[in-house]
Amino acid sequence: MKHRNQAGIGFTIGKGVLLTILSIICVLPFIVIISGSFTSNQEILRNGFSVLPRDVTAEAYRTIFKTPEDIFQAYKMNAYYTVIGTALGLMIITLTAYVISRREFKYRNTVSFLIYFTTIFGGGMIPWYLMYANVLNLRGTTLAIWFPALMTPFLVILMRTFIIGAVPDAVVESAKIDGAGHWRIFWQIVLPVLGPGLATVGLFQALGYWNDWYRSSMFSTSSQTWSLQFYLYDLVNSTQAMRQMAQYANVNTADLPTQSMKLAMSVVATGPILILYPFVQRYFVSGITVGAVKG
Amino acid sequence: MKKLLSFVLALTLCLTAISWAGAADVPAEEVNLVFYVMGDAPKDEAAVEDAINAILKEKFNTTIDFQFSTWTDFNLKYNNTLISAGADLIYVANWENYGLNATSGAFLEMDELLDTYGKELKELCGEGMLNMCRVNGELYCIPNLWPEYVCLGIKYREDLRAKYDLPYPTTLENIEAYLKGIQAADPTQGLLRPTNTEAASSLSIGFDTAYVLAAKYAWVAPFGMPYGLTANYDTPADIQDYWFSDDFVEDCKMFKSWADQGFWSKSALSDTNDQEAYDNGLAVAEIAGMNPNKQITSANNFAKDHPEWESAYLAYGETTGVIYPGHATQNGTAILRSSKYPERCMMVLNYIMTDETMNRLVQCGIEGKHYQLDENGYYVNLDDSFPYEGFNTWNLRVNEFKLKQPTDVALQAMFDKYAELGSKTKWPNVNIWDGFTEDYTDYSAERAAVGNVLRQYLAPLQAGLVSDVDAAVAEFRDKVTAAGLEACREGFKEQWADYCAEYNYQ
Repeated sequence: MKHRNQAGIGFTIGKGVLLTILSIICVLPFIVIISGSFTSNQEILRNGFSVLPRDVTAEAYRTIFKTPEDIFQAYKMNAYYTVIGTALGLMIITLTAYVISRREFKYRNTVSFLIYFTTIFGGGMIPWYLMYANVLNLRGTTLAIWFPALMTPFLVILMRTFIIGAVPDAVVESAKIDGAGHWRIFWQIVLPVLGPGLATVGLFQALGYWNDWYRSSMFSTSSQTWSLQFYLYDLVNSTQAMRQMAQYANVNTADLPTQSMKLAMSVVATGPILILYPFVQRYFVSGITVGAVKG
Repeated sequence: MKKLLSFVLALTLCLTAISWAGAADVPAEEVNLVFYVMGDAPKDEAAVEDAINAILKEKFNTTIDFQFSTWTDFNLKYNNTLISAGADLIYVANWENYGLNATSGAFLEMDELLDTYGKELKELCGEGMLNMCRVNGELYCIPNLWPEYVCLGIKYREDLRAKYDLPYPTTLENIEAYLKGIQAADPTQGLLRPTNTEAASSLSIGFDTAYVLAAKYAWVAPFGMPYGLTANYDTPADIQDYWFSDDFVEDCKMFKSWADQGFWSKSALSDTNDQEAYDNGLAVAEIAGMNPNKQITSANNFAKDHPEWESAYLAYGETTGVIYPGHATQNGTAILRSSKYPERCMMVLNYIMTDETMNRLVQCGIEGKHYQLDENGYYVNLDDSFPYEGFNTWNLRVNEFKLKQPTDVALQAMFDKYAELGSKTKWPNVNIWDGFTEDYTDYSAERAAVGNVLRQYLAPLQAGLVSDVDAAVAEFRDKVTAAGLEACREGFKEQWADYCAEYNYQ
C-alpha cells in the first residue's frame, strides 16, 4: 500500500515536472517576443534576444501606431473572412455530411469517395491557380480568398461520422413515419444534437481562416484585401527581399522595419487571439477528442 | 440607282478614312492595361494611378493598373502571372529569368512594334542597349535607361582605418591587415558578421565570406561561375576548374586562418541575417553582397546616428581591374505574348519613357503632393505614402528624367570612377556575365544535389570552420563529384560556349 502511494507521488511529481518543462518550452518564445518588442533595436543587435527586456522602450509600438490603419484594415478583413467562411462553410459541410450519412442515398459511397479522393490526389498548385484566376476569374476579389476553403474534405468526413454517431437511425425513421421530409429532419432532429460537432468543425474552420495567408498572397491585387497573417508575413519578407534585391539594383533599403518592430507587429497581430483563446479552448479540446474517438 | 449606290459607298469610304485619320491619334476602343511590377504597392497607389490615367486616357484612350507581386513568394507569383496571362506589361530582370522566359515564349517580339509605335523610345535606347536585351536575335524587352554600377566590394570604416593607420582593404592581404589592426588596437570590437544569406541560393560558393574572392581573381563572374568553374574576364570562353585547383585549397586555408584569428564568430554558419550590425558599429566591414547604393545608405545612417564614423567603399574590381556596369536586362519591361493590346502597350511604354512629365509622375508621384524640388533641384519627399520610385518601376528609369536625390551626388561620383576604370577593360563597360541565363532543366536533379553538397561541405570550408582543410577539401570534392557535378558542368559549359560565340566574347 505504502509502496503504491510512493509510486503515485513519484508519478505526480514526474508528470508535474515534465508538463512544467513543456509549458515553459511553449511559453518562452512568446515571452521573448514580447520582451523583444519592448527592447531597443540597438540592444537586440548587440546582445541578442532575452527573456527580460533590457533598455526598455515602446519605440517600436509608437512607429507601428503612427499609421495603424493598415493593421486595422487587415484585422477587419481577417474577421470578415473568418466569419463569412466559417458560417457558410459550416452550413455547406453540415448539409453535405447529412446527405452522405443517409443510407437511403444510393450514391453516398461514390460521393464520399469523390470527396475523400481530393485529400489524396490534388491537382497541384498551377491548375488550382488557373482555375480561380482564369476560369472563375476571381483574381483580385475577396471571394477568391474565402471561397476556396469553404469545404474541407476532412471536416466533411468528421461531420458525417459525428452525425452517424449522434443521431440513431431509429429517430430518423420515426420522424419519417411521422411525415417529416429531409429538410425538416435535418433542421429539427439532426441539427439540435450536433452542438459539439458544430463547435469542433466551426473551430477548425475558423482557425483555418484566421491563420490563412496563402490565398491573400496568391489572389489579392490590393493590400486592402490582405488578411492579417499575410500582412505580417509580407512585412517580414519585404525586409529580407529588399535587402537581397539591393544586391542587384540600386534601391533604397534605409527605411525597412527593425527587429524590434517586427516583434511588436507580431504582438499586435497575435495579442487579441491569445486573449480570446482560453475562452474557446474548452470546445477545441473536447472537439478534437470527439473527433478522435468517433473517427 | 447604281450611281447612287456608288456615291453612298464612296461617301462611306471617305467618312471611314476621315474617322481613321482622327483615330490615328486617339484610338477608339478604351483599353485597360495591367502592368505587373515587383514588390509592395505604395499607399497612395490610387491617387498616382488616377493622375497617370487622366493623361493616358486623353492621349491613347488607355488606362493602366499597376499590380504588385508583393515580396512574398514573388518568384512563384511572377510565374503564375506569366502562365495565367495575368498582365499586359511586365517587369523583367535577369534575376527573374528573363532569358529563359523569353526563349519559352512568354514575351512578345518587340522589333516591329518599336518601329511602328516606339520610334522615340528606340532612338533613346540606342542599338547597343537593345542588342544586350536580345535573346536568340529577338528583342523581348526595353531596358531601363539609367546606367548603374552594382559592383561588389567591401564597405569598411574609414575613420578606424585612418585612426589606426591601417592599409586600405584592397587586396586579400590588406583586408586581413585592416581587420587584424583593428583587432589588435581594440580587442572588444566586433569585426565581421558573415552569414550564408547571400550565398544561400548560389551554386558558386557556400558561404558569404567567399565574396572576397572577387578581390583576388579577375574572373568574368565576380566570385566564380556555378559548379566551381571560372573564366577570366579577358578570355571568357576559356573555362577553368576552380574547385579542383590548388588555388581553391589555398583560399580555403586563408579562410581558416581568418576564422582562427577570430575575424568572425565560431557559430557563423548558423547565424542569421544581421546586416544592421555594420550600421550599428558591431562590425567594421561588410564583404558580401555590397554595392555602391548600400554604401550610400550606410553613410547616411552614420551621418544621422554616428557623425564621428565614416563609411567608405572599395569595389573589388578596383583591385582586379575588372569593372563593368549593370547589365541592360537587370531592369526591363516586356509585353506578354498573351496581351490583347500589344500596340497600346508599346504606345504607353514609349510615352512613359520619353515624356519627362509622365516619367516623373510614374516614378515620383504628384509634384507638390508627394514630392517637391528644393532650391538645388534635388528631390525632396513630402509624403511617405508615395516614396521615391514608389511603384518599384526600376525598369522605367531614364537618366535624363531621373530626379536626383542629394545622395545621388556621391553615388554618381562612384559611378564616374567605375566608368573610367571600366572603359579600360578588354570589353569596355560591358557586363558579360549577367547577360547569360542558364537553362538547367536537363540536369536540375544533379544541380539540386550539388547545391546540397555546397551547403553541407563547402560552407564550413569557406567559413574556415574545419579542423583539417586538406581532408575537408578532399571530402568536399568526393561528395560534389558523387552528386553529379560532371553533368552540371557539361550542360553549363555547352550553353556558355554558345553564349560567348553569339556575342563574340572570345
